[in-house]
Amino acid sequence: MAMGWLRSVGTAAFLVVLASAVVISEQATNRQKKKERVTVVYWEKWTGDEGDSMQKIVDWFNESQDRIFVQYLSISGVNDKTLLATSGGNPPDIAGIWGEQVAQFADAGALMDLTPMAEEAGLDRSDYIGPYWDMVFYNNKLVALPTTPASTAMHVNRSKMPPEYDSPEEFPKTIEELDALVDKVSKRSSDDRLILAGFLPSEPGWWNYGWGKLFGGKLMEGDKLTIDSPENIRAWTWVGQFGKKFGNREVQDFQSGFGNFSSPQNAFMTGKVATVLQGVWMANYIRLYQPKMDWYAVPFPYPADRPDLKGSSFLGLDIVVIPRGAKHPKEAFEFLKFVQRQDVMEKLCSMHGKNSPLSKVSENFFNTHQNKHIRLFDQLARTRVPLFADKLGIWAQLATELNNVTQEINLGTKTPEQALHDAQARLDGQWEVYKKQVLGR
Amino acid sequence: MKKPILTREAATAFLFASPWILGFLTFLAYPLLASLYYSFTNFSVLRVPSWVGISNYRELAGDEVFHIALKNTLLYVIAAVPLGSVMAILLALLLNTKVKGMAFYRTLFFIPSLVPMVALGVLWLWVFNGEYGLLNEGLRGLGVKSPPNWLGDPLWAKWTLILIAMWGSGNAMVIYLAGLQDVPVSLYEAAELDGAKLVAKTRHVTLPMISPVILFNVVMGMIGALQVFAVAYVMFPGGAPARSTYFFTTYLFDNAFKYQRMGYASAMGWVMFLITLGLTMLALRLSSKHVHYEAMQ
Amino acid sequence: MKQRKFVTTSLIHVVLILLAAVFFSPMLWMFLTAVKPIGETMASPPKWWPSQFLWQNFPEALSYRSKELGYIPFLVYGRNTIVLAILTVTGSVFSNALVAYAFARMKWPGRDLIFAITLATMMVPFPVLMVPTFSMFKWLGWVGTFRPLWVPAFFASAFSIFLLRQFFTTIPMELSEAAKIDGCSEFRIFRSVVLPLAKPALMVVALFTFMGTWNDFLGPMIYLVDQETFTLSLGLQAYQSQHGGTQWNLLMAASCVVVLPVVVIFFFAQKLFIQGIATSGLKS
Repeated sequence: MAMGWLRSVGTAAFLVVLASAVVISEQATNRQKKKERVTVVYWEKWTGDEGDSMQKIVDWFNESQDRIFVQYLSISGVNDKTLLATSGGNPPDIAGIWGEQVAQFADAGALMDLTPMAEEAGLDRSDYIGPYWDMVFYNNKLVALPTTPASTAMHVNRSKMPPEYDSPEEFPKTIEELDALVDKVSKRSSDDRLILAGFLPSEPGWWNYGWGKLFGGKLMEGDKLTIDSPENIRAWTWVGQFGKKFGNREVQDFQSGFGNFSSPQNAFMTGKVATVLQGVWMANYIRLYQPKMDWYAVPFPYPADRPDLKGSSFLGLDIVVIPRGAKHPKEAFEFLKFVQRQDVMEKLCSMHGKNSPLSKVSENFFNTHQNKHIRLFDQLARTRVPLFADKLGIWAQLATELNNVTQEINLGTKTPEQALHDAQARLDGQWEVYKKQVLGR
Repeated sequence: MKKPILTREAATAFLFASPWILGFLTFLAYPLLASLYYSFTNFSVLRVPSWVGISNYRELAGDEVFHIALKNTLLYVIAAVPLGSVMAILLALLLNTKVKGMAFYRTLFFIPSLVPMVALGVLWLWVFNGEYGLLNEGLRGLGVKSPPNWLGDPLWAKWTLILIAMWGSGNAMVIYLAGLQDVPVSLYEAAELDGAKLVAKTRHVTLPMISPVILFNVVMGMIGALQVFAVAYVMFPGGAPARSTYFFTTYLFDNAFKYQRMGYASAMGWVMFLITLGLTMLALRLSSKHVHYEAMQ
Repeated sequence: MKQRKFVTTSLIHVVLILLAAVFFSPMLWMFLTAVKPIGETMASPPKWWPSQFLWQNFPEALSYRSKELGYIPFLVYGRNTIVLAILTVTGSVFSNALVAYAFARMKWPGRDLIFAITLATMMVPFPVLMVPTFSMFKWLGWVGTFRPLWVPAFFASAFSIFLLRQFFTTIPMELSEAAKIDGCSEFRIFRSVVLPLAKPALMVVALFTFMGTWNDFLGPMIYLVDQETFTLSLGLQAYQSQHGGTQWNLLMAASCVVVLPVVVIFFFAQKLFIQGIATSGLKS
């Protein structure tokens, strides 16, 4: 008797819980949006601290006027989410993606042409450091705007340098000199294991697409891919000789002992590699994990027979786009215009610890920046020899192939010629398919 | 009397099955048909699909990376499914004994499958680190002079994932545990009367009685292994080193979302479907002799 | 005799402890990392034991960014995830039990074919279905709500159907037949004969559904649009930074908290599905 009663109460309670769950879930997603203002939906790739920095900029904009409210979402899967939302006919008004994706998205007709609005706002190439503008300008149209950029430099651990390379001015200028430095500085332990490498291209291995460019090699000439051009083969042979010099297996084992990149045991910070090619953000990590480290930064060396490549730097860019089909493009552009303002852009880039993409920079930006070498990175961004991703619809496949090429060479499973020839063949096929199916030619 | 179109039992059965039938028609039928259609198109997701006939399938046939991914996946399945199953069954049998503290042990073995992917990726990178990882420290302690470079050596990278799969067999273990509960005690008693010891009891009573569950886990294990994705995607971006850990679903995902070739990815998905179907049918056919259903229809 | 039993028992304990150590060590490390100062996380060579136990990492992880947002994200995300879990587990257990029963214990035309199709649906890789599924939910107007994440649970799932069907077939048909002779309707047999015997399996379905919902990342990422509607798994990504340096200790602390409820539920639910003595029963 009691069991029956208990059972009914239990069932009733359960149904109440279930009903409340439905109600709560419905209400949670039904909150009133700010009706008086136009809502601009902005999805950005940054999470954590970087996401917070942009949130501050968004708050600043929202508070500075009362017509537009930017609804900001910081989400790591921004690429997938934007693709899906666009396919469903409901893209965000602003999406924060990566500079290398411009060609791919533009070829798919997914980016709104910002040229007229930019002209009206008075934005043009002269406001920016040339290459950064070029990255967002495709097929004679402005299809995106920069947010935070990056440039790269050779970071040097002074405590591992012999006295003759104690200062940035004295650091090797050419790649051949760098090779000599590597031979001099690298150390093995008593049981012949590698314990210090002067330089390792595979640490961190983020610019595998660009080794060729360092040697003047192009990945594309006109409409044709030139992956296995002589300069590229030369470049990857240079990459491969580190494995030859130290022993492929040796390097693998040595690298497996590297701490996580984002940790105090970062290979550069713990003196396992004496120098590293890294971006402007490296100072953030050093400040966070090894603030006492004694380091300096210099432009990456150039091949001795190519003085025209002196002072090169890899440039990267985070961008914001207005997807085609966005509901409030004009208001969205107002926010983008706001971000491009010098004081706003400098604040954002400063919080991220990066350089600014604008041609005009304030002294205050330099003086208050967390990276003590920011002037160098700014200089490198303005280099005559900027190296960056090709504006190619199949860039993602290209970068993947070149990563693979580098890995194969480092493992010793293929020679540079072989690896690059194979990559060329594979990518030629992909490019043909892409041209036919996407570009219609 | 005229024969009714549907027997009473059949009508009731449809009623019972209606949630699934409705659900299938509502939530699955369209996506399945749509993806089949996409496989014959070029579809960047951002643009409307454009018809290309069978050229995606033709391209797949000649795609070297696809062949590599296929090979990797099959190798993984051949290793992970048997090893994972054996581990799960052994654990379940162990954890079903009436030894003190069993609830505590069971929880310990089950927890691993609960860890969020975000933490898991980092965790494993640390465990399998060639120089200082937990695993190699343990191996060196046992006297192994130069343990493998799990993360950097193409020969061993797959084994990293296989070992991780075995560690995650807590899921299957739970299912087996549940299955073991339904083995009637009377059968064990009868076997003991016949003089059967532990091994014989396991072989002749336990395993046959849970054979439907074993079939379930093996089939699900195989389907799951063929679609191995999440951990590999996080730990080995791009299938590093040198595509040795590039699998079907990772290549498919990259094509769909990174290269914006959803049409090509769909074709790959349906090819994979056919392969999975073939293997499953093979497994079911081979098992029909050994699986023992109490409620035989 | 007693000696033999003692040896066997100890042997089992030893094996279990060894295996448990292997299985559990990554978890232990996760917990220890949670209380380490940031400098010691990710150390190489790894440092097991923290130099100091920063217990405050836990509250810090849970209230992360609550100042900026104006609410404690973890509590809100937790509430959202719990609500989803209640809905999906309920829907899943009820619908799957019904459907699996039809496949396992009833005869009807097309049954085996439809079962085969059911299995086949699991063989299509999920990324391929993501776009059309998303479009479909968009068309229904459900994007931006929780509905895509729990409504489908009320319509059964291939995995659970297969699982329960296998379990239901282990229950002897004689039991159903006996009940039928007694005049019971099919539903009555389902409710009073089969379900009680299948409790372990139902618990498994409930547990797995719960785990699936608790840890689901992709679904919430795609369908949720408002930060305040996020679930715990989405919330964990807030600790990660692309170029700023991830707070590993806080991430691990948050992960520990996310894992905890499931562990607790499992620990206590075990009793419900590990029955003491299973009946062989030709009991009516």
